[in-house]
Amino acid sequence: MSIKKVGVIGAGTMGQGIAEMLASNGLDVYLIEISSERLIYGKEMIELSLDKQIEKWALTQAEKKSIFNRIQFGESYDGLKDCELVIETITEDLDSKKAVFEQLDRICGPDVILASNTSTLSLTELASVASRPERVIGLHFIYPVFKINMVEIVRGLKTSEDTFARTKFFVENVINKKGVMVFESPGFVTSRLICLFINEALHVLEEGVASAEDIDSAMRIGYSFQHGPFEMADRFGLDSVLAALERMFREYGELKYRPSIVLKKMVRAGHLGAKSGVGFFKYDKDGDRLL
Amino acid sequence: MMKVLVINAGSSSLKYQLYNMEDESVLASGRVERIGMDSSIVTHEPVDKPEVRTVDEILDHVSAVKKVLAALMHPEYGALKSMDEIQAVGHRVVHGGEVFKSSVLVTNEVKLEIRNLFDLAPLHNPAHMMGILAVETNMPNIPQVVVFDTAFHQTMPETSYLYPIPKVLYRRHKVRRYGFHGTSHQYVSEQAAEFLGAPLESLKIVSCHIGNGASCTAIKDGKSFDTSMGMTPLEGLMMGTRSGDLDPAIVPYVMNKEELTLNEVNSMLNKHSGMLAISGISSDMREVQEAIADGDRNAKLAFDMYTYRMRKYIGAYAAAMNGIDTLIFTAGVGENSAVLRKAVCEGLTFLGLELDETRNAERSKHARYISTDSSRIKVLVVPTNEELLIARDTYRIVQATV
Repeated sequence: MSIKKVGVIGAGTMGQGIAEMLASNGLDVYLIEISSERLIYGKEMIELSLDKQIEKWALTQAEKKSIFNRIQFGESYDGLKDCELVIETITEDLDSKKAVFEQLDRICGPDVILASNTSTLSLTELASVASRPERVIGLHFIYPVFKINMVEIVRGLKTSEDTFARTKFFVENVINKKGVMVFESPGFVTSRLICLFINEALHVLEEGVASAEDIDSAMRIGYSFQHGPFEMADRFGLDSVLAALERMFREYGELKYRPSIVLKKMVRAGHLGAKSGVGFFKYDKDGDRLL
Repeated sequence: MMKVLVINAGSSSLKYQLYNMEDESVLASGRVERIGMDSSIVTHEPVDKPEVRTVDEILDHVSAVKKVLAALMHPEYGALKSMDEIQAVGHRVVHGGEVFKSSVLVTNEVKLEIRNLFDLAPLHNPAHMMGILAVETNMPNIPQVVVFDTAFHQTMPETSYLYPIPKVLYRRHKVRRYGFHGTSHQYVSEQAAEFLGAPLESLKIVSCHIGNGASCTAIKDGKSFDTSMGMTPLEGLMMGTRSGDLDPAIVPYVMNKEELTLNEVNSMLNKHSGMLAISGISSDMREVQEAIADGDRNAKLAFDMYTYRMRKYIGAYAAAMNGIDTLIFTAGVGENSAVLRKAVCEGLTFLGLELDETRNAERSKHARYISTDSSRIKVLVVPTNEELLIARDTYRIVQATV
């Protein structure tokens, strides 16, 4: 069964990005949110993102229109019935995600692949609520979705070979991204390494070794990163970085995952990074960094 | 009676024409749009009946070809009683690389070579391949012929087709000038020679194919000597939305200043440049003309740049061939815009070119003079017909192998 229509649960930052990327690759998308306000917000953000691509000459008005028309917005799970793949992208909370998978398992046909975009939660545990856990898999996209041509394909304990093979084919031949196979483990490869990198940068900052600006420059120029650790954290959202570190700290129990005090303070102060206008650096309303 | 079906397969569309090769008449034509969707559209145009549109689910090229055959054999509006009446199928293929110097019969080796060229034409060749395979599935054992947009230009000498960059890039990646619109340039140059009653080999022709895409070709000894499009259709003339020639250093400079990705800068030069960028109004010559009539200065600038660049190429090719005796205008804009032809010709009087304004203003579907009788250079408008040339090549090759 080839994949032509994909359901996306949650129109937050990742849901928007995934829906937009799928539609840009010619797929029909059904995007769900729990309230009409959040749905409208998600719709506006996708349109803004497409407009920004036009500004960068990546798209034409006609292309934008055809991409946007491929995304259907809804609040009901009924629209998922003719999807061949569903990707869940709601907030990183195990109980809420379990509730979603329970519903999906009931509504979607037996051949439909159920994927989660979780970065730290246990796929095996999510799959446990499904009557057919072998069709549950992880698809961990990285922000910004349309620019990053890599996806971690996460195998839970019961994920079947067939589910994995179909998912890998979809990732590499339909949406044209490199698929990296990882086995379930908190943070997989990407989140685990990058969060430790950011956390260590925070320790360096706390110890007064160098300023945030200089630490970023050193790593960015010195090792060809696109952004240094602090701008990276600002763009991920400091709250997301904190949440990921806390979960890995709990799961692994190792001190190296303990979130830096500075990070906690900033999140408490509402300095969440690019999305709130201020984190380690300042940003305008479009998320562009102010110098 | 020999009937040939001509197919131009795109990634989500498929155009077709059915020819009777006895008199080269079109028996029916049409197109399938939105392949891969549940609301695909088939528009079938019989020659003597009104067009028929059907909306249907057509998920791939195999079903698209099946629908085309069904339309062609339809008892009411079809043109055939049975599929066996079609003796051969001809396909348009954009890129033939260095391997294909003329049209060929489809064999397993040919299919493999077309596949090898996917890298050079990632948007086009894979779709053409789907068209070929779809015909194979629907009409097993029918002879198929492929006609390449690049083949006519394979006669260019090294001095025309090489770029002055490290030669290893040519060896490793086949970076060179290929040129496009070859079928059209070939067709109109042959038509022109026939119209002039002179052997094609005796003429020094510059043909201007001016449509959405635009290219000029210098034709000497009946062969393509140089052409303005390069490794891709982006080089050469200013076009509707493509920049044409520019300083290659602009690309990394702008990428750095505007923080653009490869995809963004590619799209900028192919879809957001040319007449659209300068006029700020449209990529369509008619809309730019209307804006000029309304006094729009940017539209005027876009038009002036467009025709200036055409004159430069015509002048350069006259020099390249050490002479020019025939100038041809063809394709959508070239055949229909008298204003464009006038603007180009008025700046070429130093060559001994005299435009006849009355002839230029006339409309016709046939090849015609637009220069004066005393003009040293014959200027012609020759309507192009790439499908007919594909049908002719298909017919000729299949006849020769039977």
